[in-house]
Amino acid sequence: MNNTLFIHDRFAEFYKENASIIKPPSKISQREFGFFTFKKDIVIRHKGFLNVKDLRNYVKQIIPSHAYYSAAYYETPEESMEKKGWLGADLYFDIDADHIPTKCRKIHDTWKCKKCGFQGRGIAPAECPICSGRGFEERKWPCEICLESAKYEAIKLLDFLIDDFGFSHHEIQVSFSGHRGYHIQVESEKIRELDSSARKEIVDYITGTGLNPIYHGLQGTPRGRHVTSGPHMDEPGWRGRIARGTHEFLLSIRKEDLEDLSLKKKLIDEIISRREEILRSWEKEGPWSLIRGAGVETWKKIIGKAIESQSAIIDTVVTTDIHRLIRLPYTLHGKTGWLKTPIPAEKIEEFDPLSSAIAFKRGEATIYVEEAPEFRIGEETFGPYKNIKVELPLAAAIFLLCKDAAKVVD
Amino acid sequence: MTLTREDIAKYPFLADAAEEVRRVNLEIQSLDNPELESIIKRAANRIREALENNPPRVSYRKRQEDIEIPSFPVAIIMAASSGSNYIKRRYALGEAIRAYNLLIEEEREKILEVAKAFNWRIRQVKDIIGNRRFDFALSFIDYLRNTKPFHEERFKLVNKPLIKGDVYLTKREAARLLQEEVRKRIEDKLNMEIRLKLPDRLLNQIENLKRKYAGYKEKRILEEAPKEMIYEAFPPCIRQLLSAAKSGQHISHLGRFTLTSFLLNIGMKIQDIVDIFRSSSDFNERLTRYQIEHIAGSRGSGTKYIPPSCETLKTHGLCPDFEACGNVKHPLASYRRRMRTFKKE
Repeated sequence: MNNTLFIHDRFAEFYKENASIIKPPSKISQREFGFFTFKKDIVIRHKGFLNVKDLRNYVKQIIPSHAYYSAAYYETPEESMEKKGWLGADLYFDIDADHIPTKCRKIHDTWKCKKCGFQGRGIAPAECPICSGRGFEERKWPCEICLESAKYEAIKLLDFLIDDFGFSHHEIQVSFSGHRGYHIQVESEKIRELDSSARKEIVDYITGTGLNPIYHGLQGTPRGRHVTSGPHMDEPGWRGRIARGTHEFLLSIRKEDLEDLSLKKKLIDEIISRREEILRSWEKEGPWSLIRGAGVETWKKIIGKAIESQSAIIDTVVTTDIHRLIRLPYTLHGKTGWLKTPIPAEKIEEFDPLSSAIAFKRGEATIYVEEAPEFRIGEETFGPYKNIKVELPLAAAIFLLCKDAAKVVD
Repeated sequence: MTLTREDIAKYPFLADAAEEVRRVNLEIQSLDNPELESIIKRAANRIREALENNPPRVSYRKRQEDIEIPSFPVAIIMAASSGSNYIKRRYALGEAIRAYNLLIEEEREKILEVAKAFNWRIRQVKDIIGNRRFDFALSFIDYLRNTKPFHEERFKLVNKPLIKGDVYLTKREAARLLQEEVRKRIEDKLNMEIRLKLPDRLLNQIENLKRKYAGYKEKRILEEAPKEMIYEAFPPCIRQLLSAAKSGQHISHLGRFTLTSFLLNIGMKIQDIVDIFRSSSDFNERLTRYQIEHIAGSRGSGTKYIPPSCETLKTHGLCPDFEACGNVKHPLASYRRRMRTFKKE
């Protein structure tokens, strides 16, 4: 039996029993729906549903490998893009481990040259070192470290949305994406009609793009040679973030970090040797005026590091796209067989995607695994595997099949 | 809200527009009314002031409410029926700057009143953040709506104190944002269709204004794309995308759009652009051509696209060097400027 057919049949069984958990978006009749099917290259778009019953029945009938709905509201969602009549859109954020430079990617992500079959780890090169081919099959692994770092970005984003933008918990919906990240949706009348350029400003705020610390309390002498004051850690918004990020950076400072910022040698030595004093200074005004020779430009470089650590890494395109299609909650992700799973915002810290998002809870399957690093499903750890036939719980087997790391054994 | 007649003379756009226009309509029909003579004169003068001053600036005449108030809707009708976008834009800006200059002299309560008349979600505060005192807290939604055309760094949301959904503003900043709101409201009024049959005397005045001020400005059209292409003058974003495309590296959707629309706009042929993408691993000639033709406007909605602005490229990580292009706001503008310096050398 081929892999696709096997996965399709398991997805079909799942939806037959569980279609009722699919969570419809609000105002369902104003949303566009889209689906990928297991038949190669068949994409269904511009679908509309009047009620959740029709939507669930449709999913049961077509068995999608991926199911989406529009963050946008339309007068007539089934029309072509130009004729839909855009009425507004939820504010949407996508956090994906793909955008986070975790160190473990070099270990678990692999690529394979389509031309000669040569394989390597990490991100695919521009060109195959053996045959100069330029096409690669990439396999990205949702490992625990990647998932944790995505969660950390999601938590930072939530702080922005609640403390800075003033959204309340009931306006924010957090979900595990079903693969390598988190989705955060803000549903509120007041943001619905924001255009793409306003959403871009929100993105810039959250990523710290275009931030100039002189508007957040960094003050110097007229020519900027000396800094006279700067923001403090308990201040709101970016002021506090700048201070906290700077504190964090200086807390674990190494000489190399400062060299990377191309600071003068004398200055580096001074910062390193006065580290203790700098850390103590946060109890009062902070270290801003403490270091001789550190002017506005020097501090801007250090604050640049603070901005990097305090901002949230989001997919900038998703948030500014006011027609975006979003994975439907409690549907299966075709690359993992896991569920997109909503989480209450205040529960995100203790959320474990590898237990809560598991769809297939019964049954086993025997598969032949080509290669897979160690992974966990629920309480159980599997692998690593290399060219081996194994009998696994269905969730683990489906996961490896979806990842194209294994073959079904008849 | 209680607006005195003096307030309405200062901020005439706050008056019930429908009622004002109805009233003026009636009066316009009876032009022999001598009182109207001075109103029409002042109306034409309002427009003239906006066109003659740079930046456009309409004056405020104290204690002349009987003329200041009705001359505003008359000026609106005149500017609107000029049909000249230049006159309309200039006049709207002139009135908006007039409002700004009056607002910054007002008490905070008055600014609040005017802002509320525009349905702003705003409140007065006396908060000190850092060592700056702020006067107002405004919903970030209203803030973004009114700073859209602003390009100054200090007005970027990321450079503002934003606490629990409110942007903290000084009185002067609030007035500056109100100026933008006024400008938009007046432009909207000017773009409404005028069905009124205007008396010849008024039409003559409008003709005079047009002849004098709108003549050559109307002819300004977009610079024609230069015939030759100079690779050395490409801005860094485009160079980076181009070399990535040529070496077959993966380029994001937005990156491909930016590169394609840029090359089309500087006059590159569709076939030559198709060839650039040829080294891509998933190259599909038919699909690539289709997409390029779409961006060129020869397919689909027929819209001919231009590349995203520098701001947008920065947001999406496609600007490799924030400082390389100086003050320029668009990759095409950067190219034109680089072309000029390139040719001089």
